[in-house]
Amino acid sequence: MPEYDVNIRNVTKRFGSMTAVDAISLDVPRGHFVTFLGPSGCGKTTTLRMIGGFEYPDSGEISIGGEVMGNRPPHQRDTSMVFQNYALFPHMSVAGNIGFGLRERKVPKQQIRERVAEMLNLVELPTHGDRKPRQLSGGQQQRVALARSLIVEPTVLLLDEPLGALDLKLRKQMQIELKHIQQRVGITFIYVTHDQEEALTMSDTIVVMNDGRVEQEGSAEEIFERPRTRFVAGFMGAENILDARVVERDSASTRLKIGPGEITVDGPAPTGADDIAVVIRPEKVRLDVADGWTATVRDRVYKGSVMSYMLTLADNTQLIAEVTHDNPAHRHERGDTVSVGFRPDDLVIIADQKKGA
Amino acid sequence: MATVPAESATSGTGTRWRFPIAPALSLGLPILVLIVFFVLPIVLIGVYSFYSLNPDTGLMQQDFTWANYERALTSSIYRNIFLRTLKIAGLSTAIALCLAYPIGYYIGAVANPKRQGMLLLAVLIPFWTSYIIRTYAWIGILQSNGFLDSALGWVPGLPTDLLYSRTALIIGFVHVFLPIMILPIYASARNLDKRYVEAAYDLGATPFRAFIRVILPLTMPGIIAGIVLFFIPTFGSFVTPQFLGGTSDVMMGNIIDNQFGEAFNWPFGAALSIVMTLVVIVAVTLFFRYADVEEIYGS
Repeated sequence: MPEYDVNIRNVTKRFGSMTAVDAISLDVPRGHFVTFLGPSGCGKTTTLRMIGGFEYPDSGEISIGGEVMGNRPPHQRDTSMVFQNYALFPHMSVAGNIGFGLRERKVPKQQIRERVAEMLNLVELPTHGDRKPRQLSGGQQQRVALARSLIVEPTVLLLDEPLGALDLKLRKQMQIELKHIQQRVGITFIYVTHDQEEALTMSDTIVVMNDGRVEQEGSAEEIFERPRTRFVAGFMGAENILDARVVERDSASTRLKIGPGEITVDGPAPTGADDIAVVIRPEKVRLDVADGWTATVRDRVYKGSVMSYMLTLADNTQLIAEVTHDNPAHRHERGDTVSVGFRPDDLVIIADQKKGA
Repeated sequence: MATVPAESATSGTGTRWRFPIAPALSLGLPILVLIVFFVLPIVLIGVYSFYSLNPDTGLMQQDFTWANYERALTSSIYRNIFLRTLKIAGLSTAIALCLAYPIGYYIGAVANPKRQGMLLLAVLIPFWTSYIIRTYAWIGILQSNGFLDSALGWVPGLPTDLLYSRTALIIGFVHVFLPIMILPIYASARNLDKRYVEAAYDLGATPFRAFIRVILPLTMPGIIAGIVLFFIPTFGSFVTPQFLGGTSDVMMGNIIDNQFGEAFNWPFGAALSIVMTLVVIVAVTLFFRYADVEEIYGS
C-alpha cells in the first residue's frame, strides 16, 4: 500500500460566483512527481495554492503527511512553493534568499552557511552566493528559487509554472534537470503547467484538469495513449477525434459506426451512452488500402519527415493522415480521391458521456 | 564633390532655420520659473548673508563679512535653539511615521483596490484647507475651556490644557504634514509584490517576521521619502511654533522670521537661513546614502 504525502478530499473553492475548484479528490503518493495539467482557469493553480495554504477550501479537506490542514497558514505547513517568476527577495543576496527558511527555523548561522553552500552546489551556482537576484539570468534565478524552497526539506514541493518565463531551449534543459533533482532529493513534487509536453517529460503522474474538475489521472503514457475524455485527447494534442456510435455490443467485441463506415474492435464497449468518440493518431491512418473508405484530399502539408494529408470522408468527417517514407509515386495531390483505413487496434475509444470541449 | 547634383547641394540651405518656438517654450518657461522663484532668492539670501548693518543707521549695507556666520555658529543661544528644533522635528517625524506607516500600508496593500481612491482622497482632503486655518483650529481644541477640555476635562490626571506646550506643537506638526508622509508610503506599499510576502510565509516566517524581513525593507523607499518630506517642512516651520508652541519652544524658523521682521537684521537672518539649508541638504544626502535605496531596487 503506497504512502501518501497529500490527500485531497472533495475540495471545492469558489471566488465570488465562479467555482474555481469543483469537488476534487486526489491522492499524491510519497516521492512522486505529480503534474497538474490544464488550460488557464482550470483550477490547477488554485488547487496548488490551497495545498500551500495561500487559499483555504470552502468545503472538503486537504491532508499533508496524514495531517488535516484546515485553515493552517503557510508558515505552519510542511510545504514549500516555487513561485511563478520566482519571487526572490530583491533586497537579499542569493545566499540570503536560500538561507531565509533556515533562519526562520532558528538554525545556527554556521550551519546555515554550510547548507546554503550545499544547495548552491546542488543547483550548480557555487560561486553566486553574494550576488543579488537581479544580477542573475532567468535560468539562474529559477535555480535559486528551487534551492530556497528545497533547503527547508519540505514534505511536498509545490511548483507553479516555474519554467514559464524561460525560453524554449532553457526550458527543455531545466525540465530534465528538475526531474533529476527530484529523483536525487526524493521529495514529492507537485508541478503546475499548461504545457502538455513539459508534463509528459517530467511526471510520474499527470492530473489533467478542466473547469475545476479532474478529467483524468494517470501515468504520462496512460494519459497520452489512452485519453479517457475528449478534452484530454484534445489537450494532449490528438488531431483526429471522431464521433462514433456503438451499434452492436457483446463481451468480446464492439461494432462501431464511425463516419461513413463501420468497424469492429476487440473488447467490450464502455458502459453507458452509445454516443462515444474514437481517437486515431495521424500516423496510424493508412492510405491506399484495399477496400478502405473513400476520402478526398482537401490539403496537404510537407512536414519534413512526414507528409500530412487533410482528408474529408464521404460524410464530411475530417481526418488527418501522416505518411512517412513518402514514395513520390504514391503522392496524392489536392482533390485526389484516396482509400483510407485503420487497424481496429489503433483506435482509442473514449466514453464521451459528457460530450465536453 | 563636383558631381553632386544641384538639388542636393542646395537642400541644406533650402529650408531656412526657424526659431524652435515649442521646445523653447516648454523648456524655457520652467527654467525661467525656477530661476526667478528658486535660484534667485537663494542667491540673494546668500549675498545678504555677507552684508553688514550700518552701525549708525541700522540699515543693511553692502559688505563682505563672515561675522554673521561666526555669530550663528558660535553663539550657544542659537546652538541650543538649533538642537531643540532638531529634537522637536525629529520627535514629530517619529510620531508621524508610527501613524503614517499603518495608514499608508493599509490603503496601498490591504484595502480593497476599489476603495483605495476614496481612502486616499480622505487623506488628502485636509490639504484643501489652508495650513494656517488648520493650525488655528488646534487653538480652539487645545486651549483651556476648549473642545478637548470641555469634553474630557472631568477625567482625572488627563492633561487638557495643552495649548502653548510642546505636546500642542507636535500635535500640530503631525496633523499638518501627515498626508505628505502617507503618500510615498502608500505608493511603495501598493507596489509591493504580494508574492514576496507569500514566499516569506511559505518559508516559515510568521506574519511578524515576514513584516520585519520582507515588507519593511521593501517599503523602505517610501518610508525614507516620507521621512524626508515630513522632516524638512517641520524643521523649517515658524507658523506652528508661533501659534501652538510655548515661549520655551521657539524654533529656528521663528528666529529667522524674527531677524527678517522685528529685529530687522536681514544679513544675520540670511546667514541662519543658509546654515539651515546646508544642514538639511547634508542630512538628506547622508540619509539617502545610509538607507541606500538603490540597493533595494537597483538602478
